[in-house]
Amino acid sequence: MSIGISRRERDTMETAQPVDGTASPDTESKIIELKPFADEMVVNMGPQHPSTHGVLRLELKLEGEVVREAIPHIGYLHRCFEKHSENLSYPQIIPFTDRMDYVAAMNQNWGFCLAVEKLLEADEKRKFAVPARAEYLRVLICELNRIASHLLSFGTYGMDLGAFTPFLYAFRDRERLLLLFEKVCGARLTYNYIRIGGVSEIIPIEPGSVAEQHFLDEIESFLDYFEPLIDEYNELLTKNSIFSERTTGVAIMSAEMALSYGATGPNLRGSGVDWDLRRDEPYSIYDRFDFDVPVARDVPELGAVVGDCWSRYKIRMDEMKESVRIVRQILAEGLPAGPVMADLKAVRPPKGEIYFRSEAPRGELGFYIISDGTPKPVRVKGRSPCFSALSALQELSRGLMVADIIAIIGSIDIVMGEVDR
Amino acid sequence: MQKYIRNIYRGVWTVLVGMRVTIRQFFEPEVTHQYPYEHDYEKKRNVREIPKGYRGQLYNRIEDCIGCKKCEMICPVDCIMITGTKLPKGEQLWDSMNVVHFKDGREVIGIIEGSEKVKPGESFTVTNITSRQGPQVVADRFEASGATSRTQTFSSDEVSRIVTRNKVVFYLGQFDIDMSLCMYCGLCTEVCPTECLTMKDSLEGVEYSTFDRTELIFRFDKQEMYGKDEAEDAAAAG
Repeated sequence: MSIGISRRERDTMETAQPVDGTASPDTESKIIELKPFADEMVVNMGPQHPSTHGVLRLELKLEGEVVREAIPHIGYLHRCFEKHSENLSYPQIIPFTDRMDYVAAMNQNWGFCLAVEKLLEADEKRKFAVPARAEYLRVLICELNRIASHLLSFGTYGMDLGAFTPFLYAFRDRERLLLLFEKVCGARLTYNYIRIGGVSEIIPIEPGSVAEQHFLDEIESFLDYFEPLIDEYNELLTKNSIFSERTTGVAIMSAEMALSYGATGPNLRGSGVDWDLRRDEPYSIYDRFDFDVPVARDVPELGAVVGDCWSRYKIRMDEMKESVRIVRQILAEGLPAGPVMADLKAVRPPKGEIYFRSEAPRGELGFYIISDGTPKPVRVKGRSPCFSALSALQELSRGLMVADIIAIIGSIDIVMGEVDR
Repeated sequence: MQKYIRNIYRGVWTVLVGMRVTIRQFFEPEVTHQYPYEHDYEKKRNVREIPKGYRGQLYNRIEDCIGCKKCEMICPVDCIMITGTKLPKGEQLWDSMNVVHFKDGREVIGIIEGSEKVKPGESFTVTNITSRQGPQVVADRFEASGATSRTQTFSSDEVSRIVTRNKVVFYLGQFDIDMSLCMYCGLCTEVCPTECLTMKDSLEGVEYSTFDRTELIFRFDKQEMYGKDEAEDAAAAG
């Protein structure tokens, strides 16, 4: 398009009828191109882009360097979790939940198992209770997994914004946690550890044995090593001038906006809403532990306001400390003796439906299950926190620069495996 | 102007604070290694072993497999393929029997007289000794060759362990595991009643990549175990 033609002229040009008369408008469809902005350029960011945390394709409509619209195209990592589940029995679905949010797979296992256990409780004839030892192991492992997940988020966010060092440090510490999980359940990433009615017994840890003592000692030594490092990371990245300049005041998500988009977890708390399912709707044994819920506040010396990228990022750094606190309380209390698996002969929930939500590292993970009394569910719906958070991207990114898009994607901390399921 | 200089000062200062964290790493042992050339579990300073119970490649001890197909049923991705032929009623490939492993590597398959639990220092008698891995049909041939008596007495000092092998009424013509499909969930090893299906928690269970996908289909049926003629007979009879 040559420069100098006004928008009105151009629009009339492009929508004009064909003049040769051979094609009538009834038989041949007209090609109408609408270009509302003169210098609009469409750029595809992704799907293979290192800062999109997986395979996210963003269609950026740019005017110069200003983003007019960022349209996320998802589905590149779709693996039919929900349809698969309809053809599998309940214990067989658990390995598939590992593949949803693969950086916090323990929490995904747990969310699904909690929903199925809630469904099983409706059966009056077959009463069961998850053993106390299993509950403690679940909280212990899931809080460690939350640390691992937030470490990955912290490391990759730094790398997205040009700081490579935090990435290496975060992976060094995460590696220690993964080695710990490997000893507990035999896998590094797709754990399949938490089962319906308890936890896996594939590598048994006998109560009061040397193996249990080694296991707890190893966790304690990790916590002693890791806790001072959080402050070090805050020095390294959080308070870094270059980092804070790029994240403070960028893409402010107000509390109303966060609630209307259904953003949960650190994204919601980063917008100043004090809400954590572990405290406000305690499931499992979270009511026995003493921990704070970090909520964002203004930091004038850095220029951070509630709801910006920096606040969302900072919530994760603070949450790691709280997770350490919970794990330390478990270590002080010691694991109770007893079995780790409830006495469930077969998983056959009664007819009915359930929606159960739990607090995964990325927010509120919900599972909606309809059962017709057979060993296989009729319908399983996973409510993933990343999907809701990603839906806010379009509004957040309007009017910002291209480089800010990277900062937003990193700050809402999405995992594409969970967005697409 | 003042703000500009303060901005520069702040930028330089926060970077220096970060650098202090980084420089400290120079005096700590390194945590990385050159993977294909150095295995971290070989190195002394950074010891890491593949833990017991690691979920690696699937392996089936077909001699102990009874063909119950529980693993095939529980597998979420259908990577195990079993073809088992049930023998005519009354026939079986072998009875439940004991496998006596000796310390020098020999093994004898038979039925231990009396209690299965052998007390140390005492000798015990094994009857109906079959050939090394043979079922009943092979055992008959073994006897026909007139090698040794089918009843022998051993000293329990030589024994390392004794395994009970279940009765087998299935002829397993196929036991394939496609490791390119496997999702390493470990559900099949949990349901296995004889614990013959395991996941290798060793180096070869972790590093077995190939250039050809068909090489990842592992076949565990051993035709020679049944004896060729008998296998055909059994298949025809089934």
